[in-house]
Amino acid sequence: MRVARVGWRRYLNGVNFGVVVVILFVMLPIYWLVISSLKQPAALGATPPQFFPNPLSLTNYRDAFSTYGFGVYFRNSVVVTIATTILVLFFGSLAGYGLGRLPMRGKSTILITLLIISLFPGIAVVPPLYLLERTVGILNSYQALIIPYTAFNLPFAIWILRNYFQGIPKEMEETGRIDGASPWRIYWSIVMPQALPGLFTAGVFTFTAAWTEFLMALTFNNSNSFRTIPVGIALFGTPFNIPYGTIFAASVVAVIPIGILVFVFRKSVVSGLTSGSVKG
Amino acid sequence: MAVVEVADEAKVDPSAKQKPKVNKQFRDRNQIMLARLGWRFTTPALVIVGAITIFPVVFSIVLSLSNVNITGNGFQLQGFTFSNYSLLIHSSEWRYSLGFTVFYTFVSVFIEVVLGTAFAVLMERLSKGRGPMMALLLLPWSIITVISAELWQYVYQGTYGVLQYLINSVGFGKPVILGTPTPAIIAMMAADIWKTTPFVSVIVLAGLVMLPSDVFEAASVDGCTPWQSFWKITFPLLRPTLSIAVLFRILQAFGVFDLPFVLTSGGPGTSTTSLAILGYKVMFDNLQFGPGSAVAVSATLLVLIGCLAFLRAFRTQVNGGDL
Repeated sequence: MRVARVGWRRYLNGVNFGVVVVILFVMLPIYWLVISSLKQPAALGATPPQFFPNPLSLTNYRDAFSTYGFGVYFRNSVVVTIATTILVLFFGSLAGYGLGRLPMRGKSTILITLLIISLFPGIAVVPPLYLLERTVGILNSYQALIIPYTAFNLPFAIWILRNYFQGIPKEMEETGRIDGASPWRIYWSIVMPQALPGLFTAGVFTFTAAWTEFLMALTFNNSNSFRTIPVGIALFGTPFNIPYGTIFAASVVAVIPIGILVFVFRKSVVSGLTSGSVKG
Repeated sequence: MAVVEVADEAKVDPSAKQKPKVNKQFRDRNQIMLARLGWRFTTPALVIVGAITIFPVVFSIVLSLSNVNITGNGFQLQGFTFSNYSLLIHSSEWRYSLGFTVFYTFVSVFIEVVLGTAFAVLMERLSKGRGPMMALLLLPWSIITVISAELWQYVYQGTYGVLQYLINSVGFGKPVILGTPTPAIIAMMAADIWKTTPFVSVIVLAGLVMLPSDVFEAASVDGCTPWQSFWKITFPLLRPTLSIAVLFRILQAFGVFDLPFVLTSGGPGTSTTSLAILGYKVMFDNLQFGPGSAVAVSATLLVLIGCLAFLRAFRTQVNGGDL
């Protein structure tokens, strides 16, 4: 029998040591991102590098918004992401309800087709969509991104919501039907409130996907006033002068909303990664 | 497929068969009404998905088999041709990109799954604070890839990058990380491994938590070492979860675009040019949509074949599963 460790020493064990390694693995690059954003522009090129910013400075944050117009990119990302999330949840929950609950023929064919669609790499659909949007004349607009983002996030959302709807007890819905509630009413006031956790999961995934998407945003919206955050950040500066400080300041601002979202809804994310995917 | 469907219908409403026969006609009509309702609810989503995803993929194939001319505000298709594909097969750039993409996918996914599983096994033994750790592990996943690419570019930077500084102070000489092919490829993989290993570990951890604990108690009573019980019990039980993680990652890694686009621009030379980067450059830098579409279609076909083979193996493993 080993002697029980007392005081702080009882925390010294292999598991905790490993956990510290994992935390360092994740956090060191993020630490570097944050402190670099707080350095003075001149200190970013210092050799040896400053491991603690000295002095602290918010110059990069001011530059990101005033000189580089980051506010515009942020606003564009917010508009596109929120619109996409609402549309995906609306159409996705209707379809998920139909496919999970109502006796339709050919459901499995539809679901498998949706699954295969979500496997297509972005580069396969970008050229034809680009030519299409160019011909229709909607390049450089919000709908240029909202429409394809909605379409490409729907399959996964439908899968998640369909799995979720299948798990909700049927009784209340049937009571509603007997009482003569319209189908729309049943869907909206009886089924939807019970499906909230599923909606969170689908919503967080859609939000994250739309917030981080790069390839379509780069090709469809290349005019400065419609760039989203990823494109804006990627195109800051010139190949010969990359303003890292500004980039990192903008990055920290871009990470905050999604970081909060993922922290609050971490359980939804995990359930989406497992239930949604294991069943698929 | 038909067999699967019958099973599906039966599952939807098992009670229908047990009801007395008097109600049958009413039930049937009710079922038809509900099915119609289902289509009304499902059609809008299917139309959107079909128009914006299936149509472009078909159109991509058409483009890849045509001479495409970009005009002032539109484009023209001039005749059917295989020349785009023969151009591809004879181009050393396409062959290199294909080889690089496959190599990059396998190596980085392998490392991510091994490391991610190790992280997950560790987290599972953690008694407190698993929730916050989950959130921490999801952080790199939620960061925009462009941001992590910029960050790593700064870390690798040749004169003031912190990694360059650390390498110099250890005394390894002065390799310019992003300026030399092999270090650039390794650097790109490292950036990807940092961003996605935690994501893999979250999936695996969720799978681990769901495993029955009595098997492990029995194993430890029987005197299994932790190592044995991992390989003989945990690993086989975890295989479906791992398969899903691998599938997710292969798909993402094979289509990799954002990371090399920002980190290395596909360079130095063409050493980190993935198929997606090649397709993008051919189309949007050179405006050659025919050959570019051929690159994109070739990538899609390869990834689809790989995934279908993988799904097939996966489905026989879990014995039909849900569908």
